[in-house]
Amino acid sequence: MDSTILLFLLQDGVTNGAVYALLGFALVLVFTVTRVIFIPQGEFVAFGGLTYAALRAGKIPSTVPLLMILAGVALLAGLWARRRTWSNAAAAKDVALTLAMPVLVWLITRALGSASRPAAVDVLLTIAIVAPMGPYLYRFAFEPLAEASVLTLFIAAVAVHLGMTAMGLAFFGAEGLRAPPLIDGGITVGPLLVTGQSIAVYVTVLVLIIALWLLFGYTLPGKALRATAINRAGANLVGISTAMAGRVAYGLAAIIGAISGILIVPTTTLYYDSGFLVGMKGFVAAIVGGLASYPLTGLAAIAIGTAEAFSAFHASAYKEVIVFALVMPVLLLRSLGAGQSHDEEE
Amino acid sequence: MTAPLLSIRTLTASYGAVPAVTGVSLDIQPGEIVTVIGANGAGKSTLLNAAMGALPAGGAVWFDGADVSALGVEARVRRGLCLVPEKRELFATMSVRDNLELGGWCVDAARRRSGLEDVFQRFPRLSERQAQMAGTLSGGERQMLAMGRALMARPRVLMLDEPSLGLAPRIVGEVFAIIAELRKSGVSILLVEQNARAALRSADHAHVMELGAFTMSGPAADLARDKRVAEIYLGLGG
Repeated sequence: MDSTILLFLLQDGVTNGAVYALLGFALVLVFTVTRVIFIPQGEFVAFGGLTYAALRAGKIPSTVPLLMILAGVALLAGLWARRRTWSNAAAAKDVALTLAMPVLVWLITRALGSASRPAAVDVLLTIAIVAPMGPYLYRFAFEPLAEASVLTLFIAAVAVHLGMTAMGLAFFGAEGLRAPPLIDGGITVGPLLVTGQSIAVYVTVLVLIIALWLLFGYTLPGKALRATAINRAGANLVGISTAMAGRVAYGLAAIIGAISGILIVPTTTLYYDSGFLVGMKGFVAAIVGGLASYPLTGLAAIAIGTAEAFSAFHASAYKEVIVFALVMPVLLLRSLGAGQSHDEEE
Repeated sequence: MTAPLLSIRTLTASYGAVPAVTGVSLDIQPGEIVTVIGANGAGKSTLLNAAMGALPAGGAVWFDGADVSALGVEARVRRGLCLVPEKRELFATMSVRDNLELGGWCVDAARRRSGLEDVFQRFPRLSERQAQMAGTLSGGERQMLAMGRALMARPRVLMLDEPSLGLAPRIVGEVFAIIAELRKSGVSILLVEQNARAALRSADHAHVMELGAFTMSGPAADLARDKRVAEIYLGLGG
């Protein structure tokens, strides 16, 4: 292996790792705020990528009717939860708030039709279609279980993953989609060609990380999310609605998933079920970060992306096996370390 | 006599099949300190948590003339009912200042700013330590932060669960001085304490709780002189 290949593999690894890092952050966010190990994160990636590819091809993406269905189910769950303290005004507000977004994106996608438009419009529209899925999923699948154990929530997450994959097959079919690169061409640095696509990935990931850092560190709503993650009972007592915090966390996770999908779909053909493996790599990174640390998760994601690139080059048949086997020593180390730290807490 | 600000009517609460509170009623007038004393496990904390809406409860809770029984915790906080729990429930890995600002989550930015000034004036220690992580504070400072955080929501009734628990005697004195000052500024207080002597000294009205029900009620000064209360709770018996 010469240095050009080495550099190429490194670049490939970092580009993939950056996307895994985003997914890892979403998993840490969702877990700390709602204690859900969010397996369906990958579906947001697949749906985001497929939606973007369909929009670029001038078609109405199948996620538009899917969003309508999810909104309907979330609305029914919301109205059912109101049955004991029913008021027509509150119910009407629920209907309006829940259905506004799907109707809006439906109207916009119809109006746009197959007219050519800048990629940025499709990016924003993709986010607008996929983002509301997060809160809807939370509303009907997780909010009613908010006080359940982590295991129960995990089982619910697996069920939602299976359901979402099945919906993906029903709405998108078995064929894959691919989109043109976000930025054409590239620049040459020494022996290395950095594609416009990878530059788009780096810039997007950096901007998102800075945005999340500003949100959690410097705004009151961001701090309220962190507070909910640190101490749910305390957050409740200062009047932070934990249900609202959950919906916001799921909305952010869906936005991150959609953006990840948009970043991936120009480089690889995405299928209705492609999200799972991509999401799992983010999950491995989040596990290394203890489902708590954002910086550790980010570093682990870059390491996973790099390991993946090198194993794809040397033993491509075993690529996934090698990457997922990496989590074992980490789990072993963590379980050894956990024995000591448990005693310190109360 | 004016209408009570907080009125708890035949409240019941249980953990599974085990009843913890069995039909308790109490009223708090505006600007009044009411205390509930009793042994460990008498159901005092359960009473406060149920009144706050943090536990499912039977009976009714009225606040400022409205039935709030069906409302969740957040809605009760918004109306001006706040609880400082026994465990404090601070945001340990956030700064003192962030803890306080989040205490003002339900009020607008202007009231949050003036509330922060007010809390820093009341608790100068917190002002000195505003950049420090809440988890690194001493026991007394943590209690002050918990009270400060609750005050940020501008409560009209503040419920304090064992505010003196685990604190050094000198700090306990400070905490009770703050409680007395809070009353002067118009906040009504429902105080649950094992330190019956200090609680009875600062309260207007008192209830003795045993096995989930009130066994004695009356003006705090009368209860402090009561022979049975003295024997069991003030440690003056033979």
